[in-house]
Amino acid sequence: MNILFDIRYYILYPSFFAPIILPGLIFTAILLLTTIWFERKAAARVQMRVGPYYASKRLGGYLQLVADALKFVFSEVIVPDGVNPTLFALTPVLVVAMSFLPLAVIPVSVIPPSGSIFSIYFYDFYDPNVGLGVLVGLFTQYNMLLILAIESIYPAMIILMAWSTNNRFAIVGAVRESYLSVSYDVLLLMSTISMALEYHTLDLVKIVQSGVPGILANPLAAVTFFIAMIIGSARFPFDIAEADTELVLGPATEYSGLLFVLTMAGSYVGNFVYALVFTDMFLWGWYPLSGFPGALLTVIKASILVFFSVFLRSVYGRYRLDQALRGSWKYIFPLAIASMFLGLVVGYLWIQ
Amino acid sequence: MDSVKIKEYKKGESPFNVVSGHLQAVGAGIKYFVKPQRITLKYPDESMSLPTGYRGMIRLYKDVCIGCTLCAMVCPADAMKMVTDQGKKFPTINYGRCVFCAFCVDICPVDALKETGVHDAAFSNRRELIFNPEKFDQDFDQPPLRPVVRKVKAVIDEDKGIKYVPDTE
Amino acid sequence: MKSGGMELDIVPVSGELNVGPQHPGSGHLRIFVKLNGDIIEDAEIDPGYVHRAVEKLGENRNYIHLIPLVERPAILDSVNMNLGYILAVEKILNVDVPERAQYLRSFAAEISRIASHLYGMGILAIFIGHSTGFMWGFGDREVWVQILEALTGARITNSYIIPGGVRRDLTPAIIEMTKKAIAFQRKKIKDWERIFLNNPNIKARLQDVGVMTREQAIEWGAAGPNLRGSGVYYDARKSEPYGAYSKLDFEIPVYKEGDGYARTLVRFEEIEQSLRILEQVIKDIPEGQILSDRFFKQIPPTRLKKWWEGQRRIVMPGYYASFRPPKGEAISRVEAGRGELVYYVVSDGSAKPYRLRMITPSYRSIYVMKNLLKGARYADLVSIYGSLDYFPPEADR
Repeated sequence: MNILFDIRYYILYPSFFAPIILPGLIFTAILLLTTIWFERKAAARVQMRVGPYYASKRLGGYLQLVADALKFVFSEVIVPDGVNPTLFALTPVLVVAMSFLPLAVIPVSVIPPSGSIFSIYFYDFYDPNVGLGVLVGLFTQYNMLLILAIESIYPAMIILMAWSTNNRFAIVGAVRESYLSVSYDVLLLMSTISMALEYHTLDLVKIVQSGVPGILANPLAAVTFFIAMIIGSARFPFDIAEADTELVLGPATEYSGLLFVLTMAGSYVGNFVYALVFTDMFLWGWYPLSGFPGALLTVIKASILVFFSVFLRSVYGRYRLDQALRGSWKYIFPLAIASMFLGLVVGYLWIQ
Repeated sequence: MDSVKIKEYKKGESPFNVVSGHLQAVGAGIKYFVKPQRITLKYPDESMSLPTGYRGMIRLYKDVCIGCTLCAMVCPADAMKMVTDQGKKFPTINYGRCVFCAFCVDICPVDALKETGVHDAAFSNRRELIFNPEKFDQDFDQPPLRPVVRKVKAVIDEDKGIKYVPDTE
Repeated sequence: MKSGGMELDIVPVSGELNVGPQHPGSGHLRIFVKLNGDIIEDAEIDPGYVHRAVEKLGENRNYIHLIPLVERPAILDSVNMNLGYILAVEKILNVDVPERAQYLRSFAAEISRIASHLYGMGILAIFIGHSTGFMWGFGDREVWVQILEALTGARITNSYIIPGGVRRDLTPAIIEMTKKAIAFQRKKIKDWERIFLNNPNIKARLQDVGVMTREQAIEWGAAGPNLRGSGVYYDARKSEPYGAYSKLDFEIPVYKEGDGYARTLVRFEEIEQSLRILEQVIKDIPEGQILSDRFFKQIPPTRLKKWWEGQRRIVMPGYYASFRPPKGEAISRVEAGRGELVYYVVSDGSAKPYRLRMITPSYRSIYVMKNLLKGARYADLVSIYGSLDYFPPEADR
């Protein structure tokens, strides 16, 4: 009995539970498969097709993704001549690792002092800002900054990946990625800062627990963040770095087999990370639930957001690099500044 | 020549139009997502029955054939060749070359050749693609490996484009 | 490589990129692109990857054998390819084509044009990343291909038009199908406008991209919708009517801007005009024969009874197998889906043409594309390529 209790204690320990189980590895892996399945099915519905179907007819072809993954696992990884094999194999792993890391610091729920299965960890993850425990891998009061800081390493890994493959299309893709990453990181930071100014905190938990959803408090920041999220996770219409008709597959051109799967997974995980932050910051996160149901509510909201952003594939083509940059600097950047002013003014008037 | 009208489209739209354009595009996407207009034929489960006069594989009626060689002469791909069998000339066909133009069917003066509606056939080697007069004389029939095949007919529909209705024949 | 492969060759600011012939965005065409940053300084277009020697093969085959052959270069627009060749051969043979056959030729040619434009739209859409446009183009095309199948017996390799007439007659069932298809296409174009034409994303990718002025279009020899997108009113169907076009009422859409968006709009409006032509053909088509009397009389009466009276199909008299037209030469031009298509046939009195010359509209896009690519951005390579509706097999022949 004691051993069972111990196992339960360690499994539910937020530092394990959050990065590995609920928003972390296992859930994200399932969500990844579901998202790609949804992307293919949704595009197929719009495009007069059926989409994945034969791999499991009853599940609507859901297992097609498993079949594809298996096929990729067993296919040969081709290492081109003249590249450093270590770097070549390591960089896709780094890309995925970097995209997963922020999941450890995103709060997905709060822990009430009693009544929840997580209540025993109340004091270990106590957040003085709201007076509740937080369900998160690593609790810090500055989690907004930390998430964005970790996520901003991701494009650097993409560029490293492109550089290590020694392919011209990959290099052109990397250049595009570097241009884009500057522009969307600015937007992400500005909209985050405007929310921080408005709520007088750098703690996502406090924003959620304040009881006012961010999308009402600062709609401009929400729009900015959403667009930056779409650019940042390379969803259509900003699928510019890996534009397949122009650059074959951009930074991932030379990859095959399992490494190719890893290169593709990174952007979907990144999308989920941004969606979780968006949910916490603008969509009320887990409020008014707490504990495990709260965590579920958060990830469901975030998943719907991810589904919507992959649905855009069936509506849009892709912008040109200069158009995306002009759009984000000329139109969205002023919006971000406006959202910051709105945050300043509202935050000044509305002292919590 | 009628009057020349050179049109221009409107450039430089207001931000309002841009936003409404985006909304309309997403709206159209959602409309089709909710109400899909699928035209996929789930082939091994459903098989399309082809209209009469479809130019599929060809069969020979050996007893009708008079050996006039017109079919071999008109064949654009040299798929049809004449062979002598018991002192009589008969056509053979090489489906590796045939382009299914059915000129041979149209030109045969005694209607010894007929186009069948069969078009989905598979052969394991190139020799099998050449049909000698005996093989050519029979209706080509390759029973499907999976027998559950629903025959459907493509019907053009005003809303859905193509609709598949069960073929009752 | 020294130092364990760490000395990687980083592309300098200006570099060359070899796009194609096997590249997701090049079709069967190789383009050497000289890049200066994101700007294309020069592009060298290297066609010929799918060259199949149609002209040389033409010198070694009988006239009738060439019908399926000339369709192959632009398989998605096969009726127009076929029609041009037959017009040239008929000029040498000096046959009159019955009125009903003329209407049927226009009917099939317009269906082929719609299918060809939808295909072009689809390719343009996928080139700029819009996968829905790609699938819709091919899905809508399927409707028209079904009609061609019912009319001619084959989906795309129609071989429908023969010297002196056409092979099969229009039946009431096909008329009914066509009416439904016209209604469907009109409805669908509304949705096309919402998701594709008026989509700000697509507008951004096509407007002011690959701008060709009226003078440049004439100087570079652009053809078809590309020429009309630059404000030149020119269409072989109007300037030298063939088929039944002199009796049909249709407009030639012309746009002034000369950019990719104008070319796309021209194509969309041509689909609408083609639908109008189809409606008129259905309404006005006269009764009568579909093969010239000269050949019709050669068909054995028993076969005539069985096929023409029974199934409204023409069977060929033996004459076609290897006819020998008189000495002479003829040139014909038709407006194919991608522009003006010219055939030049020389006959030396034998059963095979002495020379078959085929000037396809896509071939004339090569020089246009080369010029338009200079100074464009690299991402515009595909949108210029797609908006010109360049089809490599047609250019390579």
